Amino acid sequence: MGHDTVFEALGDGTRRRIFGMIRRRPLGVGEIAGLLPVSQPAVSQHLRVLREAGLVRADKLGRRRIYRVRPEGFEPLRAYVSAFWDEPLEAFGSSFDKDEEGGV
Amino acid sequence: MIEPVVKEIRVPTTPQKAFRRFTEEIDSWWPRATHSVSLDKCRTISWEGPEGSDLYEIDEDGNRHVWGVFTAWDPPKRFAMSWHPGHEPEEAQRIEVTFEKRGKETLVTLRHSDFEGLGETAQKTRDMYESGWVGVLQTYEETLG
Repeated sequence: MGHDTVFEALGDGTRRRIFGMIRRRPLGVGEIAGLLPVSQPAVSQHLRVLREAGLVRADKLGRRRIYRVRPEGFEPLRAYVSAFWDEPLEAFGSSFDKDEEGGV
Repeated sequence: MIEPVVKEIRVPTTPQKAFRRFTEEIDSWWPRATHSVSLDKCRTISWEGPEGSDLYEIDEDGNRHVWGVFTAWDPPKRFAMSWHPGHEPEEAQRIEVTFEKRGKETLVTLRHSDFEGLGETAQKTRDMYESGWVGVLQTYEETLG
């Protein structure tokens, strides 16, 4: 799953709230709808986007579906943002490797 | 007080070269497409150094985005500057970079502090610089809004 899908999925405020709720504990559609000013069909739609982005998965529990976070779904996000200074410093460090090759 | 972000890297060169690479030659290595105000539209990172002058980027339309002003200049040991890419100067943080000789290498330490001027968003910004993803999503949200 690439950055685009994950970012698009989390680019919506309501979906981020839903994702935040599921991160804290597994929840069903009804429970989520009960905690937000959003209709149940709308919640289902948001959950579908989150699921397609690989951020959550649905487990069947009797007739209910319980949504849980897929930790591996986070990976593209982590890989993308890392830490602000790590990348510039890494680029700074590698700029000296080029010196070695070029004999500067 | 908000804890500073501190990062270290060892580079296989002298403090003189490391200092120059970080300042005069910043345009040759800075990952501008991901770490700048204009991102993929960023063309150059430039400076009019040393002390008292700006470090800034120029985007493809020729707009200048100031990142900060050099406030201390002591080559090849250290420099310091205000830091506010994408923010007003009143919200500036502070960056200090030191260069210490370690045998044939140089230990470069970056200390990013003084987030308090950002007010309510100070902690969030600090976390973005440290480990990021909360802050990046916030920024992402702002660009969509």
